[in-house]
Amino acid sequence: MKYLLVLPFALLASPAVAQSTSPADLLAQYSAEAGAEASAERGKELFMANHTGGKPDTPSCTTCHTADPKAAGQARTGKPIEPLAPSANPERFTDLKFVEKWFGRNCNSVLGRDCTAAEKADVLAWLASL
Amino acid sequence: MTDATSTQFAPQGKQVLVWDIWVRLFHWSLVVSISTAAVTGFVLGAPWIKLHIVSGLLAMALVAARIVWGFLGPTHARFRDFLRPPAAILSHLTGGDTGRHLGHNPAGGLMMLGLMAVVGLLAITGLTGLGGVLRTGPLLSLPYGIGEAGLELHEVLAALLLVMILAHVAAAIFESRRSRENLVRSMVTGTKERRPGDHRGRKVISHPRIALTVIALLAGLTVQVWQRDTGVPERAPVAVLDEIFAEECTACHLAYHPSLLSGAEWQVIMANLDDHFIEDARLDDETNARITEWLIAHDASTAQTRPAHLFANERESPTGSIAETQAWSDLHESLAEETFQHAPVYSKSNCSACHADAETGWFSPFQIKIPKETSK
Repeated sequence: MKYLLVLPFALLASPAVAQSTSPADLLAQYSAEAGAEASAERGKELFMANHTGGKPDTPSCTTCHTADPKAAGQARTGKPIEPLAPSANPERFTDLKFVEKWFGRNCNSVLGRDCTAAEKADVLAWLASL
Repeated sequence: MTDATSTQFAPQGKQVLVWDIWVRLFHWSLVVSISTAAVTGFVLGAPWIKLHIVSGLLAMALVAARIVWGFLGPTHARFRDFLRPPAAILSHLTGGDTGRHLGHNPAGGLMMLGLMAVVGLLAITGLTGLGGVLRTGPLLSLPYGIGEAGLELHEVLAALLLVMILAHVAAAIFESRRSRENLVRSMVTGTKERRPGDHRGRKVISHPRIALTVIALLAGLTVQVWQRDTGVPERAPVAVLDEIFAEECTACHLAYHPSLLSGAEWQVIMANLDDHFIEDARLDDETNARITEWLIAHDASTAQTRPAHLFANERESPTGSIAETQAWSDLHESLAEETFQHAPVYSKSNCSACHADAETGWFSPFQIKIPKETSK
C-alpha cells in the first residue's frame, strides 16, 4: 500500500528513471488504438513536412528537433533537446505520461490540433527504426 | 629634509619645494582613480562594476589619507594653509588679494575642500547603493529605497564632480597664464619659483610617522567595519527551487526565479500555458496548481533584490515577458540587438548565457560575463 502512494511521486520526480513503458509497448498501444498497422514511412513524412495549421514559429517537428532524430535539437530558447531516436537516447518513449505531455504540446504547436493515435504510432515506428 | 619649510631661506627666483611627494602622489593617484571610476561608471556600465568599485574605494582611501596629511603634513599640505574664511575667498576673487600664493590660493583651497567632500560623498552614496540595492558590502542591511536614493544621489554627485574637475583644470590653466608659471608641472616636480611678495604661509614641519600611524589605524578600523555585516541578507530570494517547478520549466528554458514577477503575473502565465510565448507548454492540472502555488508563495514581494523591484508589476497588462519591460531595455541598451540572436545567447529569454546567477534571482552585476559569439 505504501508503495502505491510513493509511486506517483517517483514517476513525477524523475521520468528518466520511471520505466513505465518501452518504445515497443507504446507502439503496440498506439497501433491498437488506431486499429491499423503503423508505417515508419508515413511517420517520417509527417515529421519532416512543413505544416500550416499550428503556430507560425514552429511549422515542423524539425524546427526544434532538426531533421536528424539521432542528433540533439534545440528549443527556441537556445536550450538543447536530447535526441528523439531511442537508439541514440534510451530514455525516449519509456514514460507514458512524459510522451503524452509532449505529443500534446508539440502536435498543437506544429499542427494546431492533437495527433491521432495512428500519427503517433507512425512517428514512433519511424523513430524506433533509426 | 627639503620641504616647504625651506622656502623662507631660499633666495628670490630660486625653485622651492611647495608640493611634497605625498601631496603629488595623492593628486595623480586621485586623477587615475577618479578617471577610472568615471569611465567605468558613465561609459562602460554593469560588467565593469568591480573596477568601478575598486577605483571608487581607492579614491575614498586617498582622500581619507589626504585629510590626515592636511593636519600633519608640511606647510602647503595643511588645511590651515589654504582654507580661508569666506571673506578672504571673496576678496581674492574680486582682486582685493594682492600677492601670489605659493600654495593654494583661497579660491583653490575652497575647491580642494569641495573636491574632497564630493569624492567622500560619492563613496558613501556608492556604498549605500551597493548595500541597499545590490545587497552587498558593509551596508547590505539598508532598505532598498535608501539604496535607490543613494544611487540617484551618486549619479548627481558624479556629474557635479565632473563639472568641478573641469573648473579645477580651467582654473589651473588660467592661473598659470596669469602668474606666468606652469602649475601643472609644479604638481609633477613639486617646485615653484619663489617671487617677491609671495604669500609663503606659516611654515610647519610634517609628522610623517604620526600620519602613517593614524592612516594605518583608520585602515584597520575600516577593515573591521567592512567585515561586520556580511552573509546572507534578509529577504533574500528563495534559495531552493521546487523540484517539480525546476523539472517542468527547465525542460525548455532556464528556471526563471519566482522573485522576478509578482504573484498576479505568475497567475496569468500559468493560466495561459497553452499559448506560452508562442508555444504550447500545457501541464496537467495537478502539476500546474502545485507550481503556481509555489511561484506565488515566493514571488517578487517576498524578495529584496534589484530584479524583484525593477521587473515585477511593471506592465499594465502582465504578459510576464521581462524582456519587454522598459527597465530591461534600459539595462541592456549597451548591447547590440544581434548579440541576442546568435550563439551562444540565441534569445533574450536566455538570461543565464550572460548572468551566471540568473537562476538564483539575484542577477548580481558581479556575475555578468557576456560570451563571445560562436560560429554555430
